[in-house]
Amino acid sequence: MKLSSNKYYQTWFKNPWTYVTGAILLSIFQLVTIATTDGAWGVTGPFAVWGAWVVQAFGGSVDHWYFFSTESGRAALDRTFLTDPASVRNLGVIIGALLATLLASQFKFKKIKNLRQVGAAVFGGLLMGYGSRIAFGCNIGALYSGISNLSVSGWVFALFMFAGAFVGSKLLVKYFMQ
Amino acid sequence: MAEFELDCLGEACPIPLVKTEKKMQELDVGDTLIVMIDHSCALKNVPEWARKNNYDVEVEEVGESEWEIFIDKTA
Repeated sequence: MKLSSNKYYQTWFKNPWTYVTGAILLSIFQLVTIATTDGAWGVTGPFAVWGAWVVQAFGGSVDHWYFFSTESGRAALDRTFLTDPASVRNLGVIIGALLATLLASQFKFKKIKNLRQVGAAVFGGLLMGYGSRIAFGCNIGALYSGISNLSVSGWVFALFMFAGAFVGSKLLVKYFMQ
Repeated sequence: MAEFELDCLGEACPIPLVKTEKKMQELDVGDTLIVMIDHSCALKNVPEWARKNNYDVEVEEVGESEWEIFIDKTA
Protein backbone atom coordinates (compact mmCIF):
# COMPACT_ATOMS: atom_id res chain seq x y z
CA MET A 1 0.00 0.00 0.00
CA LYS A 2 1.21 3.49 -0.77
CA LEU A 3 2.10 5.61 2.24
CA SER A 4 0.21 8.58 0.80
CA SER A 5 -3.10 6.69 1.04
CA ASN A 6 -2.50 5.40 4.58
CA LYS A 7 -5.21 6.91 6.78
CA TYR A 8 -2.88 7.51 9.75
CA TYR A 9 -0.40 9.29 7.52
CA GLN A 10 -3.22 11.46 6.18
CA THR A 11 -4.59 12.30 9.63
CA TRP A 12 -1.26 13.12 11.24
CA PHE A 13 0.86 14.57 8.46
CA LYS A 14 -1.18 15.36 5.34
CA ASN A 15 -4.45 17.00 6.30
CA PRO A 16 -4.34 20.25 8.26
CA TRP A 17 -5.19 19.89 11.94
CA THR A 18 -8.31 21.72 13.06
CA TYR A 19 -8.14 25.22 14.55
CA VAL A 20 -9.31 23.78 17.89
CA THR A 21 -6.47 21.24 17.98
CA GLY A 22 -4.01 24.02 17.17
CA ALA A 23 -5.46 26.31 19.83
CA ILE A 24 -5.24 23.63 22.53
CA LEU A 25 -1.64 22.79 21.63
CA LEU A 26 -0.67 26.49 21.59
CA SER A 27 -2.23 26.95 25.03
CA ILE A 28 -0.35 23.99 26.48
CA PHE A 29 2.99 24.99 24.99
CA GLN A 30 2.72 28.65 26.00
CA LEU A 31 2.30 27.40 29.58
CA VAL A 32 5.37 25.19 29.11
CA THR A 33 7.19 28.27 27.77
CA ILE A 34 6.38 30.37 30.84
CA ALA A 35 7.24 27.50 33.21
CA THR A 36 10.60 26.71 31.63
CA THR A 37 11.89 30.13 30.50
CA ASP A 38 10.24 32.52 33.01
CA GLY A 39 9.00 34.58 30.07
CA ALA A 40 5.89 34.76 27.92
CA TRP A 41 5.99 33.51 24.36
CA GLY A 42 7.19 36.12 21.87
CA VAL A 43 8.62 36.02 18.37
CA THR A 44 9.90 39.40 17.18
CA GLY A 45 11.86 40.45 20.28
CA PRO A 46 14.86 38.31 19.32
CA PHE A 47 14.96 39.87 15.82
CA ALA A 48 16.01 43.18 17.37
CA VAL A 49 18.62 41.38 19.47
CA TRP A 50 19.94 39.52 16.41
CA GLY A 51 20.27 42.87 14.66
CA ALA A 52 22.21 44.25 17.62
CA TRP A 53 24.51 41.19 17.61
CA VAL A 54 25.25 41.82 13.92
CA VAL A 55 26.06 45.48 14.67
CA GLN A 56 28.34 44.39 17.53
CA ALA A 57 30.03 41.75 15.34
CA PHE A 58 31.09 44.57 12.99
CA GLY A 59 32.49 46.57 15.89
CA GLY A 60 29.46 48.81 16.36
CA SER A 61 27.92 49.68 19.69
CA VAL A 62 24.25 49.71 20.65
CA ASP A 63 24.81 50.80 24.26
CA HIS A 64 23.36 54.25 23.68
CA TRP A 65 20.25 52.88 21.91
CA TYR A 66 17.17 53.48 24.01
CA PHE A 67 15.81 50.03 23.16
CA PHE A 68 18.75 48.29 24.86
CA SER A 69 19.07 50.70 27.77
CA THR A 70 16.63 48.72 29.92
CA GLU A 71 17.78 45.94 32.21
CA SER A 72 16.04 43.23 30.20
CA GLY A 73 17.39 44.71 26.96
CA ARG A 74 20.95 44.58 28.31
CA ALA A 75 20.42 41.06 29.62
CA ALA A 76 19.25 39.89 26.19
CA LEU A 77 22.39 41.35 24.57
CA ASP A 78 24.62 39.46 27.00
CA ARG A 79 23.20 36.11 26.00
CA THR A 80 24.25 34.10 22.98
CA PHE A 81 21.99 32.51 20.41
CA LEU A 82 22.08 29.14 22.15
CA THR A 83 21.51 30.56 25.65
CA ASP A 84 18.62 32.76 24.51
CA PRO A 85 15.39 30.70 24.76
CA ALA A 86 13.46 32.97 22.40
CA SER A 87 16.10 32.73 19.68
CA VAL A 88 16.25 28.94 19.87
CA ARG A 89 12.45 28.79 19.87
CA ASN A 90 12.28 30.90 16.71
CA LEU A 91 14.72 28.53 15.03
CA GLY A 92 12.50 25.66 16.18
CA VAL A 93 9.45 27.30 14.58
CA ILE A 94 11.26 27.50 11.23
CA ILE A 95 12.61 23.93 11.40
CA GLY A 96 9.23 22.62 12.56
CA ALA A 97 7.39 24.35 9.73
CA LEU A 98 9.87 22.97 7.20
CA LEU A 99 9.53 19.47 8.65
CA ALA A 100 5.72 19.65 8.58
CA THR A 101 5.62 20.79 4.96
CA LEU A 102 8.13 18.12 3.92
CA LEU A 103 6.19 15.37 5.74
CA ALA A 104 3.01 16.44 3.95
CA SER A 105 5.05 16.59 0.73
CA GLN A 106 3.90 20.12 0.13
CA PHE A 107 7.24 21.91 -0.11
CA LYS A 108 7.39 24.30 -3.01
CA PHE A 109 9.24 27.44 -4.07
CA LYS A 110 6.36 29.69 -5.01
CA LYS A 111 6.86 31.86 -8.02
CA ILE A 112 6.78 35.61 -7.62
CA LYS A 113 3.94 37.01 -9.70
CA ASN A 114 5.09 40.59 -10.00
CA LEU A 115 7.41 43.20 -8.50
CA ARG A 116 4.48 44.69 -6.66
CA GLN A 117 4.33 41.57 -4.46
CA VAL A 118 8.02 42.00 -3.56
CA GLY A 119 7.58 45.68 -2.80
CA ALA A 120 4.55 45.08 -0.62
CA ALA A 121 6.29 42.26 1.26
CA VAL A 122 9.38 44.36 1.98
CA PHE A 123 7.43 47.48 2.91
CA GLY A 124 4.91 45.52 4.98
CA GLY A 125 7.70 43.63 6.73
CA LEU A 126 9.44 46.88 7.69
CA LEU A 127 6.19 48.33 9.04
CA MET A 128 5.46 45.18 11.04
CA GLY A 129 8.98 45.01 12.43
CA TYR A 130 9.00 48.67 13.44
CA GLY A 131 5.46 48.49 14.82
CA SER A 132 6.19 45.44 16.93
CA ARG A 133 9.22 47.16 18.51
CA ILE A 134 7.34 50.30 19.55
CA ALA A 135 4.46 48.10 20.79
CA PHE A 136 5.00 45.31 23.33
CA GLY A 137 5.65 42.86 20.53
CA CYS A 138 3.91 41.32 17.56
CA ASN A 139 0.60 39.48 17.43
CA ILE A 140 2.22 36.74 19.52
CA GLY A 141 4.08 38.71 22.19
CA ALA A 142 1.66 41.63 22.47
CA LEU A 143 -1.66 40.04 21.52
CA TYR A 144 -1.58 36.34 22.34
CA SER A 145 0.72 36.47 25.36
CA GLY A 146 -0.79 39.77 26.49
CA ILE A 147 -4.36 38.50 26.54
CA SER A 148 -3.52 35.05 27.90
CA ASN A 149 -1.65 36.68 30.79
CA LEU A 150 -4.65 38.91 31.56
CA SER A 151 -3.02 42.14 30.44
CA VAL A 152 -5.27 44.95 29.19
CA SER A 153 -2.55 45.92 26.71
CA GLY A 154 -3.33 42.78 24.71
CA TRP A 155 -6.93 43.89 24.19
CA VAL A 156 -5.86 47.41 23.20
CA PHE A 157 -3.43 45.85 20.73
CA ALA A 158 -6.28 43.66 19.36
CA LEU A 159 -8.49 46.69 18.76
CA PHE A 160 -5.87 48.50 16.71
CA MET A 161 -4.78 45.32 14.95
CA PHE A 162 -8.33 44.88 13.64
CA ALA A 163 -8.34 48.49 12.48
CA GLY A 164 -5.05 47.89 10.68
CA ALA A 165 -6.31 44.64 9.14
CA PHE A 166 -9.41 46.45 7.89
CA VAL A 167 -7.35 49.16 6.15
CA GLY A 168 -4.91 46.52 4.90
CA SER A 169 -7.62 44.41 3.30
CA LYS A 170 -9.04 47.49 1.53
CA LEU A 171 -5.57 48.27 0.15
CA LEU A 172 -5.14 44.62 -0.85
CA VAL A 173 -8.34 44.58 -2.88
CA LYS A 174 -7.49 47.94 -4.44
CA TYR A 175 -3.92 47.16 -5.50
CA PHE A 176 -3.70 43.37 -5.85
CA MET A 177 -6.89 42.28 -7.54
CA GLN A 178 -6.17 42.90 -11.24
CA MET B 1 -22.23 24.21 -18.94
CA ALA B 2 -19.07 26.15 -19.70
CA GLU B 3 -15.81 25.67 -17.83
CA PHE B 4 -13.63 28.53 -16.62
CA GLU B 5 -10.13 28.60 -15.15
CA LEU B 6 -8.83 31.00 -12.53
CA ASP B 7 -5.05 31.03 -12.11
CA CYS B 8 -4.22 31.99 -8.52
CA LEU B 9 -0.78 30.34 -8.41
CA GLY B 10 1.63 32.45 -6.38
CA GLU B 11 -1.15 34.44 -4.74
CA ALA B 12 -1.46 34.49 -0.96
CA CYS B 13 -4.63 34.77 1.09
CA PRO B 14 -7.09 36.27 0.87
CA ILE B 15 -6.61 37.08 -2.84
CA PRO B 16 -7.64 33.63 -4.19
CA LEU B 17 -10.88 33.79 -2.19
CA VAL B 18 -11.76 37.34 -3.24
CA LYS B 19 -10.98 36.51 -6.89
CA THR B 20 -13.11 33.36 -6.69
CA GLU B 21 -16.04 35.26 -5.20
CA LYS B 22 -15.83 37.84 -7.99
CA LYS B 23 -15.48 35.27 -10.76
CA MET B 24 -18.38 33.13 -9.54
CA GLN B 25 -20.70 36.14 -9.93
CA GLU B 26 -19.92 36.24 -13.66
CA LEU B 27 -20.69 32.56 -14.19
CA ASP B 28 -24.08 31.21 -15.26
CA VAL B 29 -25.86 28.49 -13.34
CA GLY B 30 -24.47 25.12 -14.44
CA ASP B 31 -21.00 26.50 -15.20
CA THR B 32 -17.86 25.18 -13.50
CA LEU B 33 -14.94 27.20 -12.19
CA ILE B 34 -11.51 25.64 -11.72
CA VAL B 35 -9.39 27.61 -9.26
CA MET B 36 -5.66 26.82 -9.36
CA ILE B 37 -3.92 27.53 -6.05
CA ASP B 38 -0.61 26.82 -4.32
CA HIS B 39 -1.24 28.34 -0.88
CA SER B 40 -2.67 25.89 1.62
CA CYS B 41 -4.77 28.56 3.33
CA ALA B 42 -6.80 28.93 0.11
CA LEU B 43 -7.33 25.18 0.24
CA LYS B 44 -9.30 25.82 3.40
CA ASN B 45 -11.17 29.07 2.85
CA VAL B 46 -12.14 28.74 -0.83
CA PRO B 47 -13.97 25.37 -0.47
CA GLU B 48 -15.45 26.58 2.83
CA TRP B 49 -16.89 29.66 1.17
CA ALA B 50 -18.21 27.64 -1.79
CA ARG B 51 -19.92 25.06 0.43
CA LYS B 52 -21.51 27.85 2.44
CA ASN B 53 -23.05 29.02 -0.85
CA ASN B 54 -24.29 25.47 -1.54
CA TYR B 55 -22.04 25.01 -4.56
CA ASP B 56 -20.66 21.56 -5.34
CA VAL B 57 -16.95 21.50 -4.54
CA GLU B 58 -14.20 19.05 -5.38
CA VAL B 59 -10.51 19.41 -4.61
CA GLU B 60 -7.74 17.70 -6.50
CA GLU B 61 -4.08 17.69 -5.48
CA VAL B 62 -2.33 18.10 -8.82
CA GLY B 63 1.25 18.41 -7.56
CA GLU B 64 3.38 19.18 -4.53
CA SER B 65 1.58 22.10 -2.90
CA GLU B 66 -0.61 22.63 -5.95
CA TRP B 67 -4.34 22.12 -6.02
CA GLU B 68 -7.29 22.59 -8.34
CA ILE B 69 -10.63 23.42 -6.77
CA PHE B 70 -13.65 22.57 -8.94
CA ILE B 71 -16.71 24.64 -8.08
CA ASP B 72 -20.04 24.00 -9.80
CA LYS B 73 -22.40 26.94 -9.79
CA THR B 74 -25.47 24.96 -8.81
CA ALA B 75 -27.81 27.84 -8.07
